[in-house]
Amino acid sequence: MFRKRKRKSTGVGDRMKNSTGKAQNTPITIEVLRERVDNMEDAEIIEHQTHNNSTIIMVYIRTLIDIARLNESVIQPLRSCRNKNLSECISASKITEILMVEEAEKQLMRGAILIFDTDENQCCSVNLKDSLGRGIETSETETILYGAKDSFTENLEQNITLIRRRLPITALKTEKFTVGSLTETNVVIMYIEGLTNPKFITIAREKIQNINYDQILDSSQLAAFMEDHKHSVFPQFQQTDRPDVCVYSLGVGKLTILVDNTPFALNAPINFFHLFQSPEDYINRWIVASFLRIIRYISFTLSLLMIPLYVALTTHHYQMIPLQILFVLVETRSQLPLSPFWESLIMLVTLEVIKEASLRMPTKSGQTLGVIGGIVVGQAAVEAGFASQILIVLVGISAIASFLVPNYLMSKANTLIQFIILILASFLGVIGIFMGIILLTVHLNALTSLKQPYFAPVAPFYGKDWLDLFIRGPLHWMKTRSESLHPLQKWRYSRRR
Amino acid sequence: MSEFSLFDKTSSYDGIYMTLMVNRIQMLYFAIIMPVFLIDPYMIWVIIIVGVLSQISIFMLSKWFNSKYAFKGYGGFVELFGERMVRLLSFIGIGFILLKVTVITLGYIEVVQQFIFPSVNTNWMLLYILLICWYVASLGMANTIRFIVIAFLCTAWMLLLLLNFLFQPFATIHDLFPLIPYEWTMKSWKGVLFIWSALSGPEYLVLLSPWFNTREKILKYMTIGNAFTIFEYVFIFIASLFFFGSHYVGENKFPLVEMIRYLESPVFERIDMILISVYLFQFVFAISIFLLLFYGATRITLKKSKDQTTRSGFALCCALLFISLMISNELLWKKATNQNILLELEMWAGSLTYLFVPLVLFISLKRKGRV
Repeated sequence: MFRKRKRKSTGVGDRMKNSTGKAQNTPITIEVLRERVDNMEDAEIIEHQTHNNSTIIMVYIRTLIDIARLNESVIQPLRSCRNKNLSECISASKITEILMVEEAEKQLMRGAILIFDTDENQCCSVNLKDSLGRGIETSETETILYGAKDSFTENLEQNITLIRRRLPITALKTEKFTVGSLTETNVVIMYIEGLTNPKFITIAREKIQNINYDQILDSSQLAAFMEDHKHSVFPQFQQTDRPDVCVYSLGVGKLTILVDNTPFALNAPINFFHLFQSPEDYINRWIVASFLRIIRYISFTLSLLMIPLYVALTTHHYQMIPLQILFVLVETRSQLPLSPFWESLIMLVTLEVIKEASLRMPTKSGQTLGVIGGIVVGQAAVEAGFASQILIVLVGISAIASFLVPNYLMSKANTLIQFIILILASFLGVIGIFMGIILLTVHLNALTSLKQPYFAPVAPFYGKDWLDLFIRGPLHWMKTRSESLHPLQKWRYSRRR
Repeated sequence: MSEFSLFDKTSSYDGIYMTLMVNRIQMLYFAIIMPVFLIDPYMIWVIIIVGVLSQISIFMLSKWFNSKYAFKGYGGFVELFGERMVRLLSFIGIGFILLKVTVITLGYIEVVQQFIFPSVNTNWMLLYILLICWYVASLGMANTIRFIVIAFLCTAWMLLLLLNFLFQPFATIHDLFPLIPYEWTMKSWKGVLFIWSALSGPEYLVLLSPWFNTREKILKYMTIGNAFTIFEYVFIFIASLFFFGSHYVGENKFPLVEMIRYLESPVFERIDMILISVYLFQFVFAISIFLLLFYGATRITLKKSKDQTTRSGFALCCALLFISLMISNELLWKKATNQNILLELEMWAGSLTYLFVPLVLFISLKRKGRV
């Protein structure tokens, strides 16, 4: 009864193409092209007489091309050229002959100029794409004190360059795909041939080729289509705007996916523990890096469990609280009209509102908001009798702890899980919290990223990978690549003969 | 809706999983109440002797894992015993699984009720635990087996806390005497039976053999698991003797948990509440595995083993299990005398399965080998 119907259409873009009634692979003529660019104000069709008295028609989209380069590479040379062969007059590195109107259309929309030679009845395209975009800046989402400061931009070619400069090897391969029937977004898979497990590449390739959607504007949208478990709160791809992170991932046997017009690359396959690793881990001394990594795990646990534990203890298990703390707690809670659950829920929701508002507001207003949120709301809540001072302290610690998780998507998932465990804690106390933790670990245990277990190297167990799991072992000890990634080259160093 | 496959062999596991599974499946409810049934210090030797005897069962089980039938799973059993016999054995197995799940689940819930939530309705707790197990099991056998690593890592460390009791001022070597029994009573035999039953569980792992890939060294891995269990039993028993003394240890229903209650922490007064909750990891793992086996056995009994597993069928099995557990809870477990009958029944049932399953498999393999 509810059987899925097979979709006939492939997308809006395709429907639009088909609705024009034009058959695919139409031979190119200037009339057909004129029809295609009709009602486009920025489309220019210019006729030009050469020295040989032949007429040349140039078609381009003004807003997509570099006008200065057009004058320099095409118009000026054509004016002075006496050669009959058109391609010999133009000073461009690549001139492509065009035969079909569909191909011409595609080139035109990607910033090429089409040149028709009416006498010879030939058409060729010259790429004059305007390199519009910002320069390379410092990463704002993954800031570090030491180490490389550059980050990806919206320009795909530039992003590939940033990676290639760090990995100057021919084994670094790139495969290009186009996704989105409307946006026709370029997607590039990068991997090191002979190192990355070919299974990952095949899976990623298949997943990208199977995407059937009209708009892919960001790498996170691409990830949403490629994820094995689409309803999970946990990110199954590592999103990063740092080229050094991508290079490190490539070097250990992962693959990197770059999406045009977005500064965030995707690394996969990943596991849960990769999301706790920071680029700085490999810059700091190993003992310091290990300490910081452990702090991150502790912070994650604190941000997840601190408030639910407060609710569980104050609602069900007063006997678990040491006597001295119990005195303080009873005193602060004695005037409160709300139960610990509602008190915590209100404070956590308020905190989330403040966090979300501070992200959306301009930087200067954000500071003001911090003051209002932190001091005024907190202090006022205590004085008004909505929340106890102990809870305010715990919420503060929990909020700060949540910021220690380097991955933003992960910290958001963390918040959501905190609410679920809070509800369980209010009903079942400590055992409810542990039920929540069991459900969480079971869920993580079942997740996969590019069909690879998400909770590796814990489950499944890979003992050697533990050297770079909860601690960051000394680099000279990490002689092999992560076993859980099944790289084709196990050793990280060249063996002496 | 995606296909619901519970018994797909999407992953194969090596020997370390076998070690962990053998160990954790032997450390369930009976391990918690063990000191009550042993009491006398000379039972330390009995634990070790029964543990060594358990190694014979382990040896016979490893022979099954090494055989060509093990890899075939259900097909292997059919080849060995014939379909009709396998169906009959499955039907009998359902009863044994049900009894084991009943005792470990209701036993754990009783501990929770006594130490964490005295006023809780145990039927609700039963429902919550079974819901979690249903979720774990619904992710498939491969994922459930993988969960053993998490269950082990979360629970095994708790043994270290008992170290504290060995170095207390009240712990004297005299608490461990007499190490040689002056008399051997019926109670002592019961202790032997109890330890043998507590060690039971690995016999159910023969049903999971298609998910294991290390066949050559399986005996080694199973032996490590069994040896670790014996070490834990001895350690728990010695710690409880030091803490309570042999005269008082039998007076407590849950001596292990009572001991943990005395552990002190600067942050939490009642650390036992956290530790009992942590124990849930291994109970969830074991119940989930038994839930899958229960469903599998029901399918074989009903001649549906070749059909695709269904969500509704699995949910129905879980519901049946819940209802039977709830009835057992109301009619048997809540009354002390009936509870003792149930425990006695499980002691015999566990002992029988641990004795006969490896033996029958071993003899069948030998006979088949000769034919």
